Amino acid sequence: MSSEHAGLPAAVWTVAMFQLARLVTWPRLAMAAVGVVFPAGVMLAAGRAARGGFPSDVSVALLYALIPEAVCMLGLLVTMCPAVADELERGTWAHVATRPQGRRALLLGTWLAAVLWTGTVAIAALLLALCVADVERPAAVAVMFTALILLSCVGRAALFALPAVVLPKRALVASVGVALVVEYLAGTIPAVVNQATVSLRLRSLLVDWMAWKRKLPTEMQLFIDPQPAWLHVLAVAVLTVVLLAAAVFILERRQFPPSDEV
Amino acid sequence: MITLEHVTKLYGSVIGVNDVTVALGAGAHGLLGPNGAGKTTFLGLVTGQLRPTLGTVRVFGEQPFGNPRVLRRIGYCPAADLLDRTVTPRAWVRYLVRLAGFSAAAAAARADHALEQVGLTAAARRPLVTLSKGMRQRAKLAGAIAHDPDLVVLDEPFNGLDPVARHDLVALVRSWATARSLIVASHLLHEVESLDAGLAVILGGRLVASGGAAEIRGLVDALPGEVTIRCAEPRQFAELAFRIGGVEGVRIEGDAVIVATHRPVAFVEQAAVRALDEGLHLGEVVPADRSLEGIFGQLVRLHRGVKA
Repeated sequence: MSSEHAGLPAAVWTVAMFQLARLVTWPRLAMAAVGVVFPAGVMLAAGRAARGGFPSDVSVALLYALIPEAVCMLGLLVTMCPAVADELERGTWAHVATRPQGRRALLLGTWLAAVLWTGTVAIAALLLALCVADVERPAAVAVMFTALILLSCVGRAALFALPAVVLPKRALVASVGVALVVEYLAGTIPAVVNQATVSLRLRSLLVDWMAWKRKLPTEMQLFIDPQPAWLHVLAVAVLTVVLLAAAVFILERRQFPPSDEV
Repeated sequence: MITLEHVTKLYGSVIGVNDVTVALGAGAHGLLGPNGAGKTTFLGLVTGQLRPTLGTVRVFGEQPFGNPRVLRRIGYCPAADLLDRTVTPRAWVRYLVRLAGFSAAAAAARADHALEQVGLTAAARRPLVTLSKGMRQRAKLAGAIAHDPDLVVLDEPFNGLDPVARHDLVALVRSWATARSLIVASHLLHEVESLDAGLAVILGGRLVASGGAAEIRGLVDALPGEVTIRCAEPRQFAELAFRIGGVEGVRIEGDAVIVATHRPVAFVEQAAVRALDEGLHLGEVVPADRSLEGIFGQLVRLHRGVKA
């Protein structure tokens, strides 16, 4: 029988595929379609309102706000936050929790599914938005934004894993709070605390890769970190590993009374 | 196989199980108790979902909470219904077998075999939400047995089933019990009795009796039954009742006189005649409660050392 056994990576992949299959429903697909279309819609509307269109840099900044920030954040909120709450509501938690690798595979697999689903939606949104946005060197911009989208999804899905395991039944509210307090408040404070946020890394990478540093006013330079790009990528990777390890540690010790399940 | 020593599980100030000590060997066991008695908490402790607040739990010689070696040998079918809207029984059982550590090919073969065992092959590709409750129960059971565990734990497996489906499932579970160990929790005595299992009776989080079905029946039969008589003159009737042979105890609750006796039918016949002779006005006679709830109540009193 031992030859039949597979390890944790296989279990994580299984959960990810299972969660992705669950996401293929009309309401979820409609939400994804809105996520794909709305950045292009906003770009179009803003371009028309500005009459002559935007300079390329403004279009890039707008794309950054709409896709790695808004689309990724909203997509991850609806895919990562219910990681545990959905299992309790569907009556499937006890089945999963009594499997040898069930708890950690559930969390890591849901994280992977959230990254794949949201990343796909965000990249589709990017490609559509680039069709209507007036940017210089669109291919290079597309590659840069793909990297930013992946980093945003990987890091922020890990960030939302914590409220998903600590407060499963209030995970969405808690995650919105975490997004606002950690990513948008702490992330913009020019102090050591912002080093532990994904938003600082993404902003700094955008400024670095667009070579905007010299163009930025001095006071705006407080909101970026002038480290090399590889260090920002490494920081997001380390943050992701630490957050996921903490979430797995907590979930493996969580107990839900029978009344928490449907 | 399973030992609990002075196990208490608290949810805040609510007691799930209370100072339970029991040893269950290999074979089939029925866990009997009314809703809210603590059966699911007991099973949660055994299947490694819950940690005891006090005491120790051992399954296959190890503590089960978060222990992959123990969990690999357990198949659990919870009482909660499967409410997944999109998943089919085939996908669901394959998923669970994969999480038990099997490769995709092995999981597919095992899932198909388990679905065949529970008679769900024809409906295996339909979404769970389109299946009847009985079929969803079968899908859950298939998930519990597909990885061929040494111990199968079933929580209220017959809930919501029609008589035919119940009969079929009882037969299926009996056949499994010959080859592996089994714990079935139920609030219905006859369901558990039909499995030829040893019984453990739980109430209010306490284990109030354990043994074979015949032992539990014998214990129950040895207890006096309670007859409730409503009477306009309860004190006079209580005095009258004490004079009748075979009466173990009498208590008055408002206009009701509750009499504990081993011979309830004979008592009622004699009491009615004497009450008429003495001019007492009887209202209602409620016979001894031999329902499961009544039996539980008596077992609890026995457990606490209170004579009925």
